[in-house]
Amino acid sequence: MTLWQWLVHQRRTDEDVQEEIRSHLTMAARERQAEGDDRDTARLAALKEFGNVMLTEEAARHARRGSLLEYVDGILKDLRYAGRMLARNPGFTLVAVLSLAIGIGANCAVFSFADRLLLRPLTVPRPAEVLTVGFTSPNAARAVGGASYRDYVDLRDRATTFEGLIAFVDPVVGFAAEPDALPRLTIGMLVTANFFQVMGVEPELGRAFRADEDQVPGRDPVVMLSHDVWRRQFGADPTILGRTIRLNGIAFTVIGVTPEGFTGLDQYVRNEFYAPLAMWERLLADSGVRPFDARDFRRLDIRGRLKPGTTLAEARAELTAIASDLERAYPDTNRQQRVVALTEMQARIAGAPPIAPLLVMLALLAAAVLFVACANVAGLLTSRSPVRAREIALRLAIGAGRPRIVRQLITENVLIALLGGVLGLGVGYAGVALFRQVQIPTDLPIVASFDLDRRALLVSLAVALLSAVLFGLAPAIRTTRTDLTAVMRATDAAGVARRRWGRAVLVGGQVAVAVVLLVVATFVYRGFRRQLSAGPGFRTDHLLMMSLSPAQLHYTPGEAKRFFARLADEARRLPAVESAALTRYMPMDGLPPSVTIVPEGYQFPPGKDSVAIPRSLVDEGYFDTIGLPILKGRGFRATDSADAPAVAVVNEMFAQRYWPGQDPIGKRFRVDTARGPWVEIVGVAKASKYGFVFEPPLEFVYLPYRQRPSESMFLLVHALGDPASLATPLRDAVRRLDANMPVSNVRTMEELYRMRSTVVLDVIVKLVAALGAMGLVLSIVGLYGLVAYAARRRTKEIGIRMAIGASQFDVVRMVVRQGFVLAVTGLGVGLLASAGAARGLRAVFPGGAGGDGRADLVTFPLVAMVVLAVTLLAAYVPARRASRVNPTDALRHE
Amino acid sequence: MPKRSAPGDPRLDLLQGTLDMLILRILQWGPQHGYALAQAIRSHSSEVLRIETGTLYPALQRLETRGWVTAEWRQTEAKQRARYYRLTAKGRKQLSHERARWTEMVAAIGRIMNPDLLKD
Repeated sequence: MTLWQWLVHQRRTDEDVQEEIRSHLTMAARERQAEGDDRDTARLAALKEFGNVMLTEEAARHARRGSLLEYVDGILKDLRYAGRMLARNPGFTLVAVLSLAIGIGANCAVFSFADRLLLRPLTVPRPAEVLTVGFTSPNAARAVGGASYRDYVDLRDRATTFEGLIAFVDPVVGFAAEPDALPRLTIGMLVTANFFQVMGVEPELGRAFRADEDQVPGRDPVVMLSHDVWRRQFGADPTILGRTIRLNGIAFTVIGVTPEGFTGLDQYVRNEFYAPLAMWERLLADSGVRPFDARDFRRLDIRGRLKPGTTLAEARAELTAIASDLERAYPDTNRQQRVVALTEMQARIAGAPPIAPLLVMLALLAAAVLFVACANVAGLLTSRSPVRAREIALRLAIGAGRPRIVRQLITENVLIALLGGVLGLGVGYAGVALFRQVQIPTDLPIVASFDLDRRALLVSLAVALLSAVLFGLAPAIRTTRTDLTAVMRATDAAGVARRRWGRAVLVGGQVAVAVVLLVVATFVYRGFRRQLSAGPGFRTDHLLMMSLSPAQLHYTPGEAKRFFARLADEARRLPAVESAALTRYMPMDGLPPSVTIVPEGYQFPPGKDSVAIPRSLVDEGYFDTIGLPILKGRGFRATDSADAPAVAVVNEMFAQRYWPGQDPIGKRFRVDTARGPWVEIVGVAKASKYGFVFEPPLEFVYLPYRQRPSESMFLLVHALGDPASLATPLRDAVRRLDANMPVSNVRTMEELYRMRSTVVLDVIVKLVAALGAMGLVLSIVGLYGLVAYAARRRTKEIGIRMAIGASQFDVVRMVVRQGFVLAVTGLGVGLLASAGAARGLRAVFPGGAGGDGRADLVTFPLVAMVVLAVTLLAAYVPARRASRVNPTDALRHE
Repeated sequence: MPKRSAPGDPRLDLLQGTLDMLILRILQWGPQHGYALAQAIRSHSSEVLRIETGTLYPALQRLETRGWVTAEWRQTEAKQRARYYRLTAKGRKQLSHERARWTEMVAAIGRIMNPDLLKD
């Protein structure tokens, strides 16, 4: 009886049964009437003969459900039996369940981590159809770069493989619910009118954009609020439609609210509003750029939804063809511009290159831990199998079907796995709690929230069931395949040698895997320690930063420049300030975007005529304030102004790469394009970390802020005392200059560095170290179990040996030797495999796990010694116990 | 629950599982409703076997959920609505299985009860 059949039959109602009984009674009564009884007598007689109607109905109902009951009852019986079996062997149960808890929990934790950083799909319907489309060229730094509006329109109108292509920018703007409120900085999306329709997102309230609202630049200031902002800032006001909010001071009318759960198209950013892309120019007032006309102003992100049935390859072929057409039609702007289309996963990996290999490494380590855990349970089951075999043979003999026995064994294994899975959630939660320490240091709505959510639970369940198959299948098959009579008759001796061999391989494998885990953990730990103690290459103490964006108040570039100059002066005048500086980007706050550079005299490979180098724009106080030494030449001066010759400071890597062995001072490069203006190098700065702590050594360029003004800058001050105490006087200074100026991201460099580096490294180190420790502990348990089991098997032999004169020491040596051989074999295999793993690690941490790419030779002997010591101990304890056996008892054994 | 039959009562309690077999056997002659089934068992057993309705209907239900019979509402010749049960292919198979078992069991019991009958 399958569940399905039961569900179908369940359709028969109680009324149906009642009617059937009524029909029976009627027929019985009629027959009696036909025999001559009067109507009432016949009826009564029929009823009397029938007996208790209600009881019959009840019995019928019971019979109807009986089959399901039988089914459930079977499972319950199996479960009860399995539970009793586990309860009878608490030692076995404890070790098996705890082993699995560790293995499953490790995978649950790593999955939660990977899910948040990479795997979670977009929050739109049918997310797999959404592709990231972008432009790239041989000179570009990024695998997928932005598109210009004109190019986007051509792609949108000509591509037939897509249901639709949408474009957006996601600017930081000042958001104010009331006209006179101080705006707070937040992120939203300026989107093309087809955005919500193509993404399949229905507004929760109001409507999405009409096509005409995205036609005339600057004409339609309408906005959709995110569900989150609507609830948090407007108390989920149902009459919000028609209200006015301000973005960068411009009044926008609210026309809709996006549904809960939709946060935009970025996995970390929780966009707070959506406005038509046509408002771009008016909202951002980027000086002198015409975003809708210039074909080489490539700032748009494009997403496309594939038509059902269309493949990625077809879409790519079509996009490539369109790009070639564009290149022919607009050779000035589109030379060598190729169009790429990536899946969401590919785009995420391309967007954060270190993440994917890191996650692959963690997933492999977690899988290794699961393997060791399953090997433990398999080993335990194997050593119990002679006992089980006899019990099962008995049950087979008294007529239990083989499928029934297999089902019983599967139930037991699944029960163990599920118990392990439940406890594993605890381990997983510990991991999630650890990851929660990682936070993105920003005032903007960008979050990485780690959770033990439904996806993680499902994965844990899947891992638990997988583990049940891994550890349970082989022992289960072997146990039921047993020859009845042989098992019933024999003592344990039959087939033991073969089983122990299999188990020895398992244990040797466990040790090998544990060695690899430990080597990786040690590499990572020592490498990160070295990296942290080496520091980022600049000062992290006594620094306070704040970011300011006068563009949000529609300052002209000249006004912004004057504002920053006066602010820096005011800051320097504060008594507790040693020095103050302005910088466009803050180190460790993510790698800044690149600038196109053509070093003079450098021979590029064919097809390439420039490089993209990350750069920052800084003022004359920057190098002193952040404590970055100038190795050669000079830093910037106040005289490096707009009308003075263009200058630059480059870092060591850059100088070495393009002018190896020469003095870089006085050398020149072009910026912005291959025909851009010349810039002269006046200084070489010491290399430091720029974007992230385990980045490889990078080429980097500093350009003077006075020659390339920006409308959004960080003020960085070097405090004499506690930098945090400067926050208030600095805010006051800003308010004296402009009371409406939004100030954000006020924090000390110590905090930024801690959040971006120390904490992240710490979490990874702890995670990797925990995985290594888990692997070691589990394999020790495995080794201990095997040696103890083997010793118990040989009790009789040991007794004989002792009876004929073997000393306790001889016995210990004999038993330990077996464990030792296994441990050494495992260690050897593990060390060989580790050499490969170390090479893999270098791919994960391009700066080398040690930050400097130095081979870490201490690790191997260190791990070897630790593993040898603990495995010997694990073998010694049972050996010692075996040697204490009383020979006469031992001889009587079994 | 079948009542314990009093000593001397010609009606016999059915061995467990035998009722199912009897029902299947009678249905082999064609679809039948519950009342007629009870009557048929009684008359074919020369009034020895009387089926309690409280046993019959749950049994029919059980056979139906196991897929050995199917049921549908139809009119009797006397224009009375009744639930007709029909043997399925699965039920036919089950019947032959039970018949074989039954024969085997009768023979086995017979060997024990009347060993002398088999000696020759």
